[in-house]
Amino acid sequence: MDFSAGIIYGFQVTFQPINFLFCGAGVLVGTLVGVLPGIGPAGAMALLLPATFSFSPTSTIILLAGIYYGVQYGGSTTSILVKIPGEASSVMTCIDGHQMARQGRAGPALGIAAWGSFIAGTIANVGLMLVAIPLAHAALRLGPPEYFALMCTGLIIVTYLAQGSVLKAIMMGLVGIILGSVGLDLITGFPRFTFGINELTDGVGIVPLVMGLFGISEILENLEGSLEREIFKPRIKNLWPSLKDWMEAKWAIARGSVIGFLLGILPGGGAVIATFVSYAVEKKISKDPEKFGKGAIEGVAGPESANNAAAGSSLIPLLSLGIPPNPIMAIFFSALIIHGIQPGPLLIRQHPELFWGLVSSLYLGNAFLLILNLPLIGIWIKVLEIPYKILFPMILLFCIIGVYSMNNLSFDLYIMLFFGLVGWLMRKFGYEGAPLILAFVLGPMLENALRQSLLISQGNFLIFFTRPISAVALGFAVLLLLTTLLPNFKKRRQQYDQFHE
Amino acid sequence: MKTRDQTSSLFWLLVSILVFAESLRIGVGTVQNPGMGFMTFGASGILGILSLSLFLQACVRKGDLRQKPLLAGTMWRRILFVLLVLTVYARVMPVLGYLITTFVLMTLLFGILEKKRTGFVSLYALAATFFTYVVFSKWLNCQFPQGLFGF
Repeated sequence: MDFSAGIIYGFQVTFQPINFLFCGAGVLVGTLVGVLPGIGPAGAMALLLPATFSFSPTSTIILLAGIYYGVQYGGSTTSILVKIPGEASSVMTCIDGHQMARQGRAGPALGIAAWGSFIAGTIANVGLMLVAIPLAHAALRLGPPEYFALMCTGLIIVTYLAQGSVLKAIMMGLVGIILGSVGLDLITGFPRFTFGINELTDGVGIVPLVMGLFGISEILENLEGSLEREIFKPRIKNLWPSLKDWMEAKWAIARGSVIGFLLGILPGGGAVIATFVSYAVEKKISKDPEKFGKGAIEGVAGPESANNAAAGSSLIPLLSLGIPPNPIMAIFFSALIIHGIQPGPLLIRQHPELFWGLVSSLYLGNAFLLILNLPLIGIWIKVLEIPYKILFPMILLFCIIGVYSMNNLSFDLYIMLFFGLVGWLMRKFGYEGAPLILAFVLGPMLENALRQSLLISQGNFLIFFTRPISAVALGFAVLLLLTTLLPNFKKRRQQYDQFHE
Repeated sequence: MKTRDQTSSLFWLLVSILVFAESLRIGVGTVQNPGMGFMTFGASGILGILSLSLFLQACVRKGDLRQKPLLAGTMWRRILFVLLVLTVYARVMPVLGYLITTFVLMTLLFGILEKKRTGFVSLYALAATFFTYVVFSKWLNCQFPQGLFGF
């Protein structure tokens, strides 16, 4: 199917009433989640996943993609207006966006964030179409050694880009691999690490794990201290940026789109890293770097474009290789598996309605967000005014419903609570959850590829270094690890940590 | 962070030893024919080495002797209460059903921070319970436990 036929077919799928409704509902729920601290995109997707069991996989994926996109938009609104980043990918927008709001320029800040997101999202969609199909064709020639090497590289990049200590991030990756091995062994069919608990035979569920590590742990952290928040109410006028604003922001949007697109494809990249890199680049190349932090429109346009571009392009490795590049895509991966679809090189060929339907829904979702969100800003601010003492029991209840509905098992609630406590302690001790989640999902695939490779090579580990793609991928991973030992890297990491704090 | 790194590294070291031992028990196999403990054997081995190196790094690092204890200045009793309530909820919900247990849970959770206006707390809890029941059970067809009383 060529591009034009694919797009037409995709829009036919997207404009089916149920898919159209799911796309709209997804972006609205996503925006709400982006506004609220506590659930996060992974948690929101996990929450709504059980409700999609009776719908088609295409509708489900359209809904999840809408949530993911909507989160990026919702996070920017609260970052600019009240300096509360609903999501990590909106942290950078706070810096200049909120300053603009304080200077009475909330309208242009919101406008440029929305338009930048729309433009970058559209560019990423075009890139997704152009890259995913050839990559899927190429991936058909990859064997277990190449898959093993690519997944290893992905995990190393995740740990390399982790915000804290690289050593701790690698440790979390290893814990994720161990957790992922709980349940039936893929080859022998015998249970392992189940300790006689029947409920663990199917392994630890990703939904309770994600809800616990991200959702519950954040609520527990919020409950530690005072729950009062100061809400600054700016006057919003002129949502359409002026010509001067456009001139100042146009290259930031272009650069943000490219940076976001490239970092989104990269395993371990994703929207958060893209915003940090985009902001740093804008500040670095600016003729007037002093204005950053004081309301520079480029500081809003760049990161906001980057996070939307990354959200779109991170679908590429999932749809064409079957490798989720970040924890959010890991939820997508699980959703596809639950609906009986194996992500990988054959997905586009075997399920064209899903691929083209998803691509078209991304265009539609972007348009929905642009048309709906700016007029709805007042409602999102009202949501923020809900006191946390009312909000947190509701978020907890949503987490409980999402987890319980997956298998109708109370045991999953215990798993969620356990990992909620673990996640809270991990935050206290400076460990990140993202490498753990990604390794948890990749672990079984990684093990399968390793064991198959060793069976093929009759136990010769050189198989990973005699095949060009796996040799290059593993070589790159080793190089990355070695660079963490350089003094210059350590210094930069310290600066980055200080900046992040 | 020095003491915290020492404590956490020792914890992960213990985890790695347990997983390592279990991997050996279930069978590592050979390189030609890897067993079901092969991957975890390797992962736990590396985890053990890294935990040890984190511990040593923390030991030689200049420590902040005035570091606050982990729970100092935090409302940890609130956290403990929430975890306890949720654990009991997970145990009781299949027996008493969604509506009753969720109403009690929400009353307790709303009540944590709003102790004076008990009427409002009950009203919020009732509204939250019925709202989620209607949306998730009736509209989205999620299955909630009915319990002893059939609702």
